[in-house]
Amino acid sequence: MSLILGAELGPKADPTTTTYVPRPEWYFFFLFELLRVIKPPELVFVATLGIPNIALALLVLLPFYDRSPERRPTRRPVAMTAMMLTIVAMTYLTLLGAFAGSPTQIDAEVEPQYQYGKEVAANSGCLGCHKFGENGNDGPGPNLTTIGQRLPKQAIQRTLDNPTPPMPSFKNMPPDQKEALVEYLGQLR
Amino acid sequence: MPSKPKIPKPHKIPVSKLPKPPIPSGLTRVPKPGTTRDDVTVGDVAAEGGTGVVAWIDERTAGSGFLRGFLFRKVPKGTNWWYTLGSATMFAFISQAVTGVFLAMYYTPDPVQAYESVRNINNEVFLGEFVHGMHKWGATVMTVLVFVHMARTFVFGAYKYPRELNWVVGVLLLMMTMMMGFTGYLLPFDQRSFWATVVGVNLNGTGPIIGPYLADFLRAGSDFTATTLSRFYAIHMMLVPGLIGALIGVHLYLVAKLGTSAPPWLKSKLPDEEKKKV
Amino acid sequence: MAPKTDKQKSKYTVDRGWPGGFEGETLTRRGFMTGVALGAGGVASAMFGLPALGFALGPIFEKTEHRALLDVGSTKDFNGDTYLPAVITTTAGIGQAGKTLIYVRKNTNPTDKQPWPYIAISTRCAHLGCPVRFIEAARSFVCPCHGGTYNYEGEVTGGPPVRPLDRFETFVKSDRVLVGERFSVNSQLERVPTRDPGAHVDGFWQVLYPPRPTV
Repeated sequence: MSLILGAELGPKADPTTTTYVPRPEWYFFFLFELLRVIKPPELVFVATLGIPNIALALLVLLPFYDRSPERRPTRRPVAMTAMMLTIVAMTYLTLLGAFAGSPTQIDAEVEPQYQYGKEVAANSGCLGCHKFGENGNDGPGPNLTTIGQRLPKQAIQRTLDNPTPPMPSFKNMPPDQKEALVEYLGQLR
Repeated sequence: MPSKPKIPKPHKIPVSKLPKPPIPSGLTRVPKPGTTRDDVTVGDVAAEGGTGVVAWIDERTAGSGFLRGFLFRKVPKGTNWWYTLGSATMFAFISQAVTGVFLAMYYTPDPVQAYESVRNINNEVFLGEFVHGMHKWGATVMTVLVFVHMARTFVFGAYKYPRELNWVVGVLLLMMTMMMGFTGYLLPFDQRSFWATVVGVNLNGTGPIIGPYLADFLRAGSDFTATTLSRFYAIHMMLVPGLIGALIGVHLYLVAKLGTSAPPWLKSKLPDEEKKKV
Repeated sequence: MAPKTDKQKSKYTVDRGWPGGFEGETLTRRGFMTGVALGAGGVASAMFGLPALGFALGPIFEKTEHRALLDVGSTKDFNGDTYLPAVITTTAGIGQAGKTLIYVRKNTNPTDKQPWPYIAISTRCAHLGCPVRFIEAARSFVCPCHGGTYNYEGEVTGGPPVRPLDRFETFVKSDRVLVGERFSVNSQLERVPTRDPGAHVDGFWQVLYPPRPTV
């Protein structure tokens, strides 16, 4: 494997970047995604240390609370279910982590004339609060995958200029960029 | 003597007849011509003792007895390939240790030079990228093996009496392995490593009360400095591997002492039934 | 078991019938030697163990030394309408790894809470320290890791961050903007001791995240 894949070395460490998206090694993805799933600021430490440590404590103490002498998997439904759920949860979170793209990229293809608008959307921080297909964060803003169905272009334009807080106003955006953005959003159906 | 109350005799467990484990040829003593093995006297043994390197070492360490007991111990019927995951994990660890030591020969744990030294390993050193790759992918293999080994133990219920302590040691080894993954990630000092470490250290910092101190300990101060990298380096290549080695020793000792657990679906036969069969 | 007699309660080893007991002794020689050996071993281990531990833990209690003020540009470069990025070296001697990026703008409305002539905002997300980016079009800071967003003042508008973005002290000296130490701000944008990302500085939660001796 190491012959084929080698040891990839990325660009040199640069703490002054603003475009780099930190990613952990793949076997830490499930921990990493836990952070994305748990949103409220008060619960941050639950996601960072709480859940992993509780899981670890449960593992260490396993022989002390599972006292039944039964060892056949078919006769230990509770233990087997717990294990299956753990494996499914870890696999799900790992896959989520593996396929979560960068927040400055929208994967869904668009026709060439909307390409510029898509780039504007991707580079304007929309993905911080909105979801576009598989990309972006689910909230606090609404999902924009099919925004064109729900809002006509004029309404999108109005919302960009005078949004409901906490969304910031895009009034000061250069007109050509804003036009492209509105065109792009309007065709999302 | 007053007569003791009679204790019912326990079932006699039949002693299974196993072939004698093989012995290195250096240890088998050939009797003199015209005598049989039974004629060999103590004096003969003393006179011939320690011929050959293996016998010399064995006489002074009595190692063969231990090794025979350890490597040719009885295992229950029905063991299968799932039982080799532990050895596979240990092999992965040994391979990590060996490649790691050789990588350390070319690596410089200094924030300015670390990246260059890794690039030197990759591009200039003979077989450098191969060994670096073995270490990097070996880490992945080891992590996966640890998890599968743990799942096997869980499914087979092999953590139950009397093997509870061995399970606890195993979980400690899992933690150590994760710690190796975390500390080793910083060492190549590319963008990925740097930011993953920043986030990882801050993760520890979010713990109430002790969290901030923990983060300060990992960073050796309030900011990322040159000490941070050497700290991670020392933890990665000395502290944790030492602990892992010691814990593997305990783990293996307990395995040898308690024996391998039989597969749970194996029906235990009453001694009488066993006798009838034989 | 036979009831305890007075002899068995006696403090003398001979009375209690211990092997190796000796007239007038309260401790057998074996017990004494075991104790001495363990004690000597303990003292010897402590002699190298404690200093080593202190050596490793020392940096936790050491205050980080103040560094010199850093020049980020002329006062003419910055205005109050937008942020400009500036690279500063917070830790000298470790090359690129000691640098960090800050966003600077003029403080058009200095108040008691924010007396600094310039606002210098750190790019470390207050969630877990990922690099945030200033999005000019939205006039907000966005974090790529877990979707934290901040407004023009660095206050949290969405996502998991627990407090506003950290800031730096700023000074003006002969038409140059100088940047000092980093500090954290609470939700009222009042200065509080510097914390790590993820540490709360408001309400009940701040009790769980005391300021550390290093800052």
